[in-house]
Amino acid sequence: MTARLTIDGVFTTYDRVDVLDDITLEVAPGRITCILGSNGAGKTTLIRSILRLTPPRRGSISFDGRKLDGMQTHDVVSLGIGCIPEGRRIFSKMTVEENLRLGAYRVSSEREIRRRLDGVHAVFPRLAERARQLAGTMSGGEQAMVSIGRGLMTDPKLLVIDEPSLGLSPLFVQENFNVIARINATGVTVLLVEQNVNQTLAIAHHGYVLSGGRIVAQGTSATLRDDPELQRAYFGAVH
Amino acid sequence: MSAIGQYVLNGLMQGTIYGLVAMGFTIFFGVMNVIKFSHGDVMTFGAFGALVAATAAAAAGLPTGVQILAAVSTAVGLAALLGAGISRLLILPLRSAPPLNLLLMTMMVGTVIREAIRLFFPNGTNSQRFPALLPPGGATVGGVFVRYDGLILIVAGLLIIAVVHHIINRTRFGLAMRAVAEDQETARTMGVNFFRVVPLTFALGSATAGFAGVISGLYYSEINYGMGLLIAVIGFSAAIVGGLGNLWGAILGGYLFAGLQTVVVATLPTFSEYKNVVAFVAVIALITWRPTGLLAERASERV
Repeated sequence: MTARLTIDGVFTTYDRVDVLDDITLEVAPGRITCILGSNGAGKTTLIRSILRLTPPRRGSISFDGRKLDGMQTHDVVSLGIGCIPEGRRIFSKMTVEENLRLGAYRVSSEREIRRRLDGVHAVFPRLAERARQLAGTMSGGEQAMVSIGRGLMTDPKLLVIDEPSLGLSPLFVQENFNVIARINATGVTVLLVEQNVNQTLAIAHHGYVLSGGRIVAQGTSATLRDDPELQRAYFGAVH
Repeated sequence: MSAIGQYVLNGLMQGTIYGLVAMGFTIFFGVMNVIKFSHGDVMTFGAFGALVAATAAAAAGLPTGVQILAAVSTAVGLAALLGAGISRLLILPLRSAPPLNLLLMTMMVGTVIREAIRLFFPNGTNSQRFPALLPPGGATVGGVFVRYDGLILIVAGLLIIAVVHHIINRTRFGLAMRAVAEDQETARTMGVNFFRVVPLTFALGSATAGFAGVISGLYYSEINYGMGLLIAVIGFSAAIVGGLGNLWGAILGGYLFAGLQTVVVATLPTFSEYKNVVAFVAVIALITWRPTGLLAERASERV
């Protein structure tokens, strides 16, 4: 089985410093693959490289066998990569429905947009009740629903999720992870980037550990969870 | 009594022109955080295009209606193209440059446009007569004399404001535009083509200025190469007073500025030459009192 996403020898530079230093990894279709790492490990830069917001300096990234090198961000998204960005990044001056519609921005058929809206409303009935409310006036948990719902509106083959637990109460964090597992169960491939090691490994199939811009370990979730050396070296500060 | 009616109509006319220009300033700032000082000269460019188109249509013996249509579509089209071109060739490539460089660049572009009109338009240094295409005369309503052309132009201006409002708030393009204005990177990750939306946004804002140029020509019966300079300063002030980034604020600011001018002219006829001085002093006072404008976005929204 070929990988959904292949990252091959990628170097990405910020202010002339390599934040990503020769990253090679694969995301298998239908699975949840996670990237674990502490602050400053290069997790967000990796996502920015995939979406080509910060194009890599060297190396190659392909999606379903198609090279993304040289593409613009909106073209990458059109191939079927959805994004739930760090810190939610909802459009606070727009209504909930407008936020969701932006997720399906590349779709022009109103019928298809309505179908996807219905799908998101089935997952989050609250967003249907609040369709006309300005998203910025909602609670943190509700804004997280808007951000996830907006990602689902893309109807992605690959959903890239950046730190979904950031700034949420533990109760919402657990709820969010449950939602991600349910989304994956419907067949969506997930690339999950997190610092929250235990909860992430509980739902992920495969994981990579990122430290100082390099992949320092990889394996199935069970292997990573049961590796005492790894737990001590990289996750010690977290747990 | 009849004098008051004429003052009100003049004020509304001026306010509509200012509001249309201020809308561009507020749209450009909202989307790209840029003050585009060539905006007034883009308007002038549109007005001169309208003059050429109307003259050509008249020379070809086409009916008045077609002359008007030619004038309006040429002005709107030329201004839109010029605005989109400036954004694509200069503003987008310089978007990470210091804001002051960008401001300076747009001022220089404005000077180039202005000088090009002056040098290349036949007898361009002098004011040009703009053909009277609208029905002459007027009607007395309740003792107040109302010029037909003024009435038509105000209604047309309000219609354009409504159309722009509709585009921004009710269309897919408007959705993309607002998304870019609020969070450019997230908009791009939703699939918005940033490099197409920005020039289209500048085309929209510039088209309204082009329309303002035609209105000005038709109402005052003359245009000149430097007309965009003062209107740019006034339109910019109107946008600031209303709250930069706020569409209704820009329109309100436009009518407010025209209202101030009109009050000076109506109450102190001997000082009518000072209308801009008084209006600008009032604007300075308003900005000091409310630095973020009358209809400022609440601080919590602007993150």
